[in-house]
Amino acid sequence: MKKLKIIFSTLVFTAGLALSSIAQANDIKIGVSFRMLSDVGYKHGELITDTVEMWNKEGGINGRKIDLILYNDECKSEKGVANATKLAYQDKVHVIIGSSCSSVTLPMVPVITKAKVPQIIPHSTSSKITMQGSEYIFRVPVSSRFYKLVQGKFTAEQQGKKIAYIYVPDQASMVFAKEMIQFMKDEYGVEPTYAVQAGEKETDFRSYLMKAKATNPDVIVLSGLVDETVRMLVQSYEVGIPKSVHRVANSVASKVEVPTNAGKAAVGVVYSAAFAASDTRPIAKKFVKKIKSTYGVTPGHDFSQMQDLLDMLKPALTKASAKFSGDLAADRNAVRDAIAGITNFTGLASGPISFCANGSPECRDGNKTPVMIKYSRGGKNWKTAVAGTVTFNPSDGL
Amino acid sequence: MEKFKKVISQYPFLGFIIAYLVLLCVPTIFFTDLYQSHLSSLIFVNIIVAAGLNIVKGYCGQVTVGHVGLYAVGSYTAGCMFMYLGSDLWLTLPAAIIVTGLFGIAFGIPSFRLEGPYLALATLGGGEAIRLFIENGEFFGSTYGISSISQPVIFGVPFDTPDKYYYISMPVMLIAVYFSYSILKSSIGRAFMSVREDPISAAASGIDIKKYKILAFILSAMFAGAAGAVYAHLPPGYIHPNNYTVIEMVTFLAMVVFGGLGHIWGGIIGAIIITIVYDLTRPLYEYQLFIFGLTIVLTILFMPKGIGGFIDKIFIDKRFKKKKVEEGK
Repeated sequence: MKKLKIIFSTLVFTAGLALSSIAQANDIKIGVSFRMLSDVGYKHGELITDTVEMWNKEGGINGRKIDLILYNDECKSEKGVANATKLAYQDKVHVIIGSSCSSVTLPMVPVITKAKVPQIIPHSTSSKITMQGSEYIFRVPVSSRFYKLVQGKFTAEQQGKKIAYIYVPDQASMVFAKEMIQFMKDEYGVEPTYAVQAGEKETDFRSYLMKAKATNPDVIVLSGLVDETVRMLVQSYEVGIPKSVHRVANSVASKVEVPTNAGKAAVGVVYSAAFAASDTRPIAKKFVKKIKSTYGVTPGHDFSQMQDLLDMLKPALTKASAKFSGDLAADRNAVRDAIAGITNFTGLASGPISFCANGSPECRDGNKTPVMIKYSRGGKNWKTAVAGTVTFNPSDGL
Repeated sequence: MEKFKKVISQYPFLGFIIAYLVLLCVPTIFFTDLYQSHLSSLIFVNIIVAAGLNIVKGYCGQVTVGHVGLYAVGSYTAGCMFMYLGSDLWLTLPAAIIVTGLFGIAFGIPSFRLEGPYLALATLGGGEAIRLFIENGEFFGSTYGISSISQPVIFGVPFDTPDKYYYISMPVMLIAVYFSYSILKSSIGRAFMSVREDPISAAASGIDIKKYKILAFILSAMFAGAAGAVYAHLPPGYIHPNNYTVIEMVTFLAMVVFGGLGHIWGGIIGAIIITIVYDLTRPLYEYQLFIFGLTIVLTILFMPKGIGGFIDKIFIDKRFKKKKVEEGK
């Protein structure tokens, strides 16, 4: 009797496993790896979860349920690589979304390329990522190669060529400042009046700002992460750098914490990003309203890029899953081809997003239209104004 | 069985050969995907660091919170040798061990005059200084990191995927553990313990305290260097200063504490459990640090000697009971 019970329960368990694996085989699996440390980071995770939940409530994609697997990489490459390996080989996802940090996305590329899993980037901007030439990588945000061009041109032609640079040792901040310095040298033959890399997690930038002020610049470029950008902006007024000196920041300035915490010091700051909350298009207004009411924050371009990514991914998955054969490698290739087929996607981004078949940066840097934004008001009720948009050729800045 | 145990205790090297043969078969029998191989390699790297940390912290009783800096030195020695000289693991591994050993001297010197929290602060400063130096140095790739570090090639076969790299990291780990075992079972290990228990008595017994303190730092640094090099070449071969922060240091310490400070297998047990627990709690990212912290607090409260100490206690109790029964008979 006891033996029978064991045999019966084993059979039930095996049948259960088989049924669940059949159910899972029909699912579309999306893996996510990005920084979910800060409050806003968690909210990006919530945005993905809520969107996928909504897709599932609407009946899934081509009747298939979406299975979302979310991992935090803490902005650490070691964890990003582990996540990519786990998602590719163990979780067997069809597509990976990630990461927020360029230093994490960079080493993920060889992993996903070997595993042949398409990956779509929501936030990382470093031009080095797509320059690896992987056929499986797609970037929604504007690449740093376009940012340097637009920022460089705008600064030189509208604000002045005597520029001081203060940047922190974070990859995106450094790349922005260094690429801009190089661009100004190559394009206009201008050397910086002052350029310095501050220490990690430094909070007092006044000594650097005083030195920058002494060089009497037209423009001061403050390139850091959120906290550092806020501090540098506030402290630039504390050391007496006049309003007439233009303040330029990197795309981090689009994050809500910058105008909120910097207050009046944010006024006049110019930065390039992929989206402005002051965008008057109905789609943008609706999005800002939705994010404000659901997540309690005014969205910066990180939010808009995530939303664009999801809005692009859904039709791509619909197209690809119609051809799913059950062979994971072929299905992943179908997803890759469907994403590569996206052309002129018009969403929240400042310009259309297009990909193409080969793995070159021309094909895989989707958004080629950065927008120049200026803060016209700081504090909780901050406001921005669009200073201009430029659409680049796919090979510009390479 | 008793005979087998006796042979192993007489010739521990045999035990390691058996372990090697067993671990050689593990992927074929148990692994179902490549991620398990990747995780195993990470476990092996952590075991090497923890085994080294156990020498200086567990055996010699020196408080070090800067070991992660030495691990970074190992990684960056390998990374830079690859970047500038095109060297592969067979060259970078010994070089990393030697260079990190030299750094171990620098880390050990403060232990002559400092103890406890003061030594912890000095080593913490050293570890952070190394990371910041790397982060700000263009020579080391600064915040770009070093990418595409090559994987070793043996007889024309590249070990460039996690499943293949397992067969590189596993033997290195076993060799490191064997060295750690041999050192700690030797007169050097006993000298370390005497320094930990009572330095004055040890000195009175003719043990050169300074010599053994610095030796402990050098040896443990060499382990960190080896781990760093193995990690640098782990596919996809990318290192970044963000991977060598105080958080990683705390994780290494947690491995040693959890496994059992001063227990010969402590670091190994801790490295295996902590790495696996960390991986299993990955989807619970919101609670991960909480679970981690709670595990460590509960371990310290209920198993102050760690898992290793707990297992020892079970065996001692068992032996004690057996002896009592025999005496009763």
